Amino acid sequence: MGYTEYLAAREYLGMVGQPVITYIFIISLFQGLFSILYLIKRDRRYYDYLIKCLYISTGLYFIGFFILVWFHIQIYNTVLIEYPVQLRQMIPVANSRIAAPLWIESEKLYFWAMCASAFALMVKKSKDVMSFMGVILSIFSLVVYFFSNPFKDPLPILNSEITRWHAVLLLSDMSIFQMAGTLYGRVTFYYNSTYMWTHPPMLFIAYASLIITFAACVYMLFKKDRVYDEIAYRYAKIGYILLTTGMLIGYPWAVEAWKDSAWWWDPKISGSIMMWVLYSAYLHSRIYVSKGKMWQTTAYLGIICFASLIFTYLLTYIVPGIHSVVQP
Amino acid sequence: MKIKNYDYYLIILTTLILSAIGAVSLYGITYYNYLAVDPVWTKTLQYSQYIDEMDSYLYPFLVLLLISLGMCIPKRLFEQDILAKSSALILGITLIISFFSGIEKGLGFILSVMTIVQAIVLILTVKKSKSVRFEKEGYLARIGSSLLHLGLVIIILDFVSLRDSPIHLLIFWSGVVLITVGNVFSFYPEKIALLLPNV
Repeated sequence: MGYTEYLAAREYLGMVGQPVITYIFIISLFQGLFSILYLIKRDRRYYDYLIKCLYISTGLYFIGFFILVWFHIQIYNTVLIEYPVQLRQMIPVANSRIAAPLWIESEKLYFWAMCASAFALMVKKSKDVMSFMGVILSIFSLVVYFFSNPFKDPLPILNSEITRWHAVLLLSDMSIFQMAGTLYGRVTFYYNSTYMWTHPPMLFIAYASLIITFAACVYMLFKKDRVYDEIAYRYAKIGYILLTTGMLIGYPWAVEAWKDSAWWWDPKISGSIMMWVLYSAYLHSRIYVSKGKMWQTTAYLGIICFASLIFTYLLTYIVPGIHSVVQP
Repeated sequence: MKIKNYDYYLIILTTLILSAIGAVSLYGITYYNYLAVDPVWTKTLQYSQYIDEMDSYLYPFLVLLLISLGMCIPKRLFEQDILAKSSALILGITLIISFFSGIEKGLGFILSVMTIVQAIVLILTVKKSKSVRFEKEGYLARIGSSLLHLGLVIIILDFVSLRDSPIHLLIFWSGVVLITVGNVFSFYPEKIALLLPNV
């Protein structure tokens, strides 16, 4: 097993995964259409179609996810980084395999969308929230298909690292030390880190749950009915627990991996603090949700919280910082 | 003031303080983006000035949050007027310490006081003391709320005063466990009761 097998697995991933995500895209279009039709006409048939579409798209998301799991296992089996002898005196390992998490690069939005679809199935008893979720998930799937398709050019950054590693192996010059050193850091503190396997998925599952809180808050304002507060709160609880613990787990990771780098008050960290305090404010305000117009404040806060969540997610792509892909 | 109204205004105050911390964070993002025009600015003195500046904006709101938390939690123990006077006293001492030794020391003082208060509340809650009063109903939910608030105060204390201590991460993880268990107990007391029928 080696580089050739890795390349073959990468090509196979595109070949098998691309049809899956195309079907998700098509089903999601129908899902969005039936959601809108139900919201306008209130015909039960449209709702039944919407639920069927959601079941199919969620199932397809999971099939795609299992294909990604297979690809990641192939990466682990086919890519072996053997460190040069001189470097081994400075690091505790002789070689590394890459246990790449399933929520990096273009896969993270896919993972989030998959979790959101699965969560949406749990609110199917509330038709209003469900149909609004149908529209949101439809838009989400479009974004995944056009901007974060994990099957089109899979894991470009990891792929470039693996490709460069094999290129320097052929050169057999001093550049191998620099490349091996860089890869050792990336593998130890990023790909294979326990934190990478806990911190991001907890946050993405939290985000998925909090989409339902957002949908219920919008509906609460729209229908001026407090009944939606129960749904909003049910999913805010799940989201808040995972958000809090997931965020906190990131701290020792930052201390370990970034040491003296400039990460404190980095935009992503500021954004995360902002998001967390806003969700804390939301949960505090809803203690008195039945008092006067407090339900309105709570609903507005729920919407602001979700806006801050989207903003925090996008910070990686719009503002420079240690978490970001943007250069100043 | 009626107890119910008092609780309500405290919650409003806490919500406003939390939102203000959100606004400080938003300012931080904007300011960081502005400073990042220079690609190497984080390697200059400007970065430590930025950190100090952000901390100085955050700390007053943290003091307010702790005072609000302090008035919220011990109201379960003391009468309102005693509580108001003791809160004013703690705030006064915090301000004096901040004036002479810096806000970090002042914050350290109030955090230490709050850690003791929260620990007492937790012990009394566990012992089912009648002197502790909560908005939340149920034994497990109250334990959850006490654990959560204690964990939160410990984590802030750890960040503010114990960053360079050798037990910094140990205390941090203790805070994480308290917060997580507190959240779960607070949000799902019925499910926990099924798991722990003898509690």
